[in-house]
Amino acid sequence: MSESQAGRRVALIGNPNTGKTSLFNTLTGMRQRVGNYAGVTVEKKTGTWQLPNGQTVELIDLPGTYTLSATSLDERVAVDVITGHGMGSNAPDLLVVVVDVENLRRNLFLASQASELGVPMVIALNCWDVAEKKGLQIDCKLLEQRFGVPVVPTVAKRKSGTVELAKAVEKAIETRPILVRPKWPEPVQKAIKTLHEELVTKRGEALREGELQRLLFDRRSAVCERLKTPAAEHQPIIAAVRDQLYKDGFQPDAAESTLRFRFLNPLLNDVLERQAAMKKRSKSESIDQLLLHKFWGLVVFVGMMFVVFQSVYTWAGPVMGLIEGGVGWVQGIASEALVATPMLQSLVADGIIGGVGAFLVFLPQILVLFFFISLLEASGYMARAAFLMDKLFQWCGLNGKSFVPLLTSFACAIPGIMATRTINDNKARLITILVAPLMSCSARLPVYLLMIGAFIEPRYGPGVAGATLFAMHFIGAFVAAPFAWILNKTVNKGRKPEPFVMELPHYRVPQIKLVFHRMYESGKEFIIRAGTVIFAMTIIIWALLYFPRPAEIEANVTAQYIGQITEGALSEISGEILLDEPRATELEARIAASYLEQSYMGRFGKFVQPVFAPAGYDWKITVGVLASFPAREIIISTLGIIYSLGGEIDETSDDLRSTLGNARWESGPRLGEPVFNIPVALSIMVFFALCMQCGATLAVIAKELNWWWSLGSFVALTSLAWGAAVAVYQFGMLFA
Amino acid sequence: MLLCSAVLMRLILIRNSLTMRLNQIKKGGLFRVKDLNCCNDCVSRLMSMGLLPDQEIRLVHEAPLGDPIAVEFNGCHISLRLEDAAHVEVEPI
Repeated sequence: MSESQAGRRVALIGNPNTGKTSLFNTLTGMRQRVGNYAGVTVEKKTGTWQLPNGQTVELIDLPGTYTLSATSLDERVAVDVITGHGMGSNAPDLLVVVVDVENLRRNLFLASQASELGVPMVIALNCWDVAEKKGLQIDCKLLEQRFGVPVVPTVAKRKSGTVELAKAVEKAIETRPILVRPKWPEPVQKAIKTLHEELVTKRGEALREGELQRLLFDRRSAVCERLKTPAAEHQPIIAAVRDQLYKDGFQPDAAESTLRFRFLNPLLNDVLERQAAMKKRSKSESIDQLLLHKFWGLVVFVGMMFVVFQSVYTWAGPVMGLIEGGVGWVQGIASEALVATPMLQSLVADGIIGGVGAFLVFLPQILVLFFFISLLEASGYMARAAFLMDKLFQWCGLNGKSFVPLLTSFACAIPGIMATRTINDNKARLITILVAPLMSCSARLPVYLLMIGAFIEPRYGPGVAGATLFAMHFIGAFVAAPFAWILNKTVNKGRKPEPFVMELPHYRVPQIKLVFHRMYESGKEFIIRAGTVIFAMTIIIWALLYFPRPAEIEANVTAQYIGQITEGALSEISGEILLDEPRATELEARIAASYLEQSYMGRFGKFVQPVFAPAGYDWKITVGVLASFPAREIIISTLGIIYSLGGEIDETSDDLRSTLGNARWESGPRLGEPVFNIPVALSIMVFFALCMQCGATLAVIAKELNWWWSLGSFVALTSLAWGAAVAVYQFGMLFA
Repeated sequence: MLLCSAVLMRLILIRNSLTMRLNQIKKGGLFRVKDLNCCNDCVSRLMSMGLLPDQEIRLVHEAPLGDPIAVEFNGCHISLRLEDAAHVEVEPI
């Protein structure tokens, strides 16, 4: 490999649903990296492609787009990468335009736009097999002649044509063929010339002709953003040129598509021999007669969503149980091995191993969900689902594609938020991510069961208990709707709405290999990027609950306990006290409770208790609430420790329920009154239903958006939860 | 005065040519695009997908709540919302 050949970069570009990603995976195998483009949430995929002559090139998979006329982030990224502003400073050496044979004209529109930016090009005619089956005949040689670039038929699914494609790319890197460009009418040429004079000659902007075209034709071009000339100066220039073009008889917004298609049509004249398919129903359309039917379509949809939800909620359960069991088993081994050094024992068992378990436990749900999502997407059903559901979500700035992520969030917000990547509209995606944590996930269930079982059910019976459980599950969704609406009116105010124009692609049989690849990718990404954060948070919370550990506590509590017992029935035998099994356990639990009270978290809980007083919480509940910020289900074990019952307790424990019922205020105006009553129980449930108590969700939001959004949603949802909890308690106390 | 006569002219034109909007068409018929409001983002997206004047188009599906709709042109099925479809003028063939 010679020096000049090193570091060659080839970008794949094409319409959505052309099998571009499938081709990318075939060409790169597993040698790929997934990341984000700097500052935007558009997924960036790069991989290594080995050409037959041994040369390796870096292959970039650009997001699927219909046009370079930048309205969406995807299109902006595509323009930036092709012009050499997206990643690194250089434009790619070659573009491979993936073209769907069935939509030749529309696909070549994008190719034609891209060619204006001056990058050499090879065309891959994908889905050749489907076209042959449908009797579409395409004359590749004629196409090559007319367009001036190599045209290679491929079937990415069956890896056919990839060798030919590689050979063509190898050659094209040397010969640099450029796709034929339209001859623009006089007014357009004049406009480009004026722009060149004003921006390049006078103001020294480094712009090629293709970029000037984008400035002329696009209302809000991505190119504008990197001009050195301030907006106040360059905007009037562009506006004036566009005005002139309008006076010359070309509406600037329509000019490009009109002229470019007018140029493409004769070139495609004899290339494409299409039978009068317009009137004939395709197979996909027949399937859609059922799947998009006003009644049966919904029935099928609900059925499919039921399967998806059940699989995430229920079927992932046993595997999660296995992981939890496995983590517990490793914890047991580690504790035993380190019994001599209590601090290290707790750090390794509760901190490190517990931290690994804290994110591993989400993996089954993520894998199961992405299995279904890839199936739905690859088959073409996802677009139909969005089509069916869109109306329900329109009014609050979401769209039909928000449905699957939000439904999933009822099982767990983490896979739900990861699933928002299927939403192309960034505005809708942002809101979906922000409201997803409000859906009542399965980790809230223990809290509901504990409170309802301890307080609601004994007093009002199973009917009200069931209704309360139901209400708690939907309170988040009810709050989410106006919350989304407000977010759409505030946060999204300045953002451009993405046009909801969505292709309903032909149905295809998904490739199982790609489905598993997607599962693998999402799992890997979660572990690398969110797992580490979750792990770190778990260790920090462990430390807050463990330290400081004054040595005298154990002695003090023991002495006090012994004192209590000796006062009662027991007598001291020759200076040495022997405790029977239950007493030893109780002493241990009391020591643990005392340590927790003295820990930084315990002290902090007492310190901020006044904040939670209006919601009716004493310091013990406050500590429980605070300690469960990394993961809400922790409240159960924290309450167990704090009430001296030990940490190995669950929400159905009668001990815990009766202890909570007997808890009394230790100080303050309500001294001696029971801490827990119906308003407090409701207030706790509402708080947990709305609050962002999940470190893993925060980490995933930070990964999908950034830490500011993560922090913002934490503050917003926590204050919302606090407000609602206070309101519920205060309102409830009027009747209590 | 000038504006009024322009509106009147347009109304007469519309009545004569049976022009309607894409959000008003029913299933079954074949239509031809007459005019597009290219200032709308959705419409400019549709145009770069090849929806230009004289293009044949038909309605293939309506969502259960009546919105969005799916239309076919050039052999592909595209879904769009009614509010956006209102920016496309069509006439029956």
